[in-house]
Amino acid sequence: MILEVQNLHKIYDNGTHALKGVSFKVEEGEFLVVIGLSGSGKSTLLRCINRLIEPTSGSVNFLGKDITHLKGEELRKIKTQIGIVFQHFNLINRRSVLINVLAGKLGNVGTFNSLMGKFSDEVLEEAYKSLETVGIAEKAKVRADSLSGGQQQRVAIARSLMQNPKLLLADEPVASLDPATSNSIMQYFERINKDMGTTVICNLHFLSLVRRYATRVIALKEGNIVFEGMPNDINNTWFKTIYGEEAEEVEIR
Amino acid sequence: MKTAELEISPHAKLQRSKEKQNKKNLYKAVLLDSFFVFYSILVVQRAIYYKFVLDMRSLPFSWTETAIILVISLLIGSLWALSHTSLSCRLFGIAVDTKTTKWTVELFGWFLFNITFIAGWIVTKVSIVQLFSAQGLDGAGRIFGSLFQPQFGIFDDALFAMIETIYIALLATLISIPITLILSFFSARNLMKENKFTFIIYYILRLITNFVRSIEPLVWAIIFSVWVGIGPFAGMIALLVHTIASNAKLYSEAIEGIDRGPVEAISATGANKVQVVWYAVVPQIVLPFLSFTIYRWDINVRMATIIGLVGGGGIGTMLMQYQGLARWHEVGLIVIMIAVVVWIMDYISAKIREAIY
Repeated sequence: MILEVQNLHKIYDNGTHALKGVSFKVEEGEFLVVIGLSGSGKSTLLRCINRLIEPTSGSVNFLGKDITHLKGEELRKIKTQIGIVFQHFNLINRRSVLINVLAGKLGNVGTFNSLMGKFSDEVLEEAYKSLETVGIAEKAKVRADSLSGGQQQRVAIARSLMQNPKLLLADEPVASLDPATSNSIMQYFERINKDMGTTVICNLHFLSLVRRYATRVIALKEGNIVFEGMPNDINNTWFKTIYGEEAEEVEIR
Repeated sequence: MKTAELEISPHAKLQRSKEKQNKKNLYKAVLLDSFFVFYSILVVQRAIYYKFVLDMRSLPFSWTETAIILVISLLIGSLWALSHTSLSCRLFGIAVDTKTTKWTVELFGWFLFNITFIAGWIVTKVSIVQLFSAQGLDGAGRIFGSLFQPQFGIFDDALFAMIETIYIALLATLISIPITLILSFFSARNLMKENKFTFIIYYILRLITNFVRSIEPLVWAIIFSVWVGIGPFAGMIALLVHTIASNAKLYSEAIEGIDRGPVEAISATGANKVQVVWYAVVPQIVLPFLSFTIYRWDINVRMATIIGLVGGGGIGTMLMQYQGLARWHEVGLIVIMIAVVVWIMDYISAKIREAIY
């Protein structure tokens, strides 16, 4: 078991109760997809796992270690093992693709060397290799903000690959991309999951993508888990429970 | 498990905070209404009645009288605000929606505006007669005439003074850059709010820079000309101090306005705080910083001229000397030179700022 989340609560300073006691386990090699409406707590959940957000109560176990209360150096060491990809890519816009990818290695590079922009030949080689994995090695010297949305997301994936992550989180990675690009991005995640054995937890909106890529699904509604099972178990009744009575499924291919 | 503590209904919470807000607003309305009444009585009595109607030179002042007016104002103000029909109630959004409110607000608002304008007119001693008196127009004609026939004999002296001014401004701007850079990171809320200790540093820095900025460079020049003696050095330090305080605010606001996304992404890779700032914050703020700094150089050239008037060196000091001797032809040349240099600086700095974006 790679991850175990127990009774996780998150209350924001403005009083929003985003997670209301979420518990689940993730086995190594799974492709777990989290679904739910906007505001159901999906993003909060992912950010609590890699501690971008401090959970209010509950615990997160990563590789058998309670990481909920880690601080400083120890926390940074854990963070280097968990990659994350965001909806809005979150690249450093004015820097080259290569620098963006190298930034994924910052946790393992000395402060002084990283400030001087000095990376060892092995790290550079690794950066090119992860760019090749997502098929845009030829763009290495180009400025990140000159790329298209799909290309930027691929750079973001390459950046997270630099961490050699045991666990890869993806927060609605295709929500701001067109359908065709969405599928190609999802295929990169699939390949990372299958070929490298990286465990993936991914927030998604479209059920067609969920059915195609997920090995298991969790559904959140108002901060609670309302469904846990196989992608094909989500029938019409479940769909209405998760998304509300008025919702209707749309296809994306 | 602390479920009981967690189960506060957000709706009830919202309701409670709204009631609290309304109560707070009522207190504010009482104070503001009392102030409005107090202000009206004072303005009508002192500016309009004493100064204008009675045409008194020096106004009588007594603490008891003022205190009585204050008490009366507080009484009227409180009653007015508590009736929820006053101007302040309307401003704070707690007024009842009736015709009385509408009339009170409109009439009293109009009344306040008018007495303020009239009092301002009286206090500034506005006089159309003096503006167009024959003697006055004659003097103006003399000065304008001299200004437009500049004395070119002092051109080389003026040029040197002008160069001195530009260097004063340039040096003040250059020295300010590293100091401001460091200060700005420590006075950016989003970087400092995470723990108590850094937040206290942030707070104290903001306090100091706000204070320093609120004092005009002209006053700083006076202070430093006593400290280090009259001359360009005093002017440079005065500009430097003010530049640091102003730009620290602008820089830190640029830092506060950055996109959080990259910061999140870089810190999620396990990078430490210094690396996060260098990789996610700095690339986003380099251009705004550059732009502010160039603009500030442009402002400093203008300020350096003004500072010269109180002994900060450069062209301003020269202007002051010739003005004191009433040699208007020389003053004319200096004024024209200042105008040209300011115009050129303005143009260059705008062009550079355009180019880097």
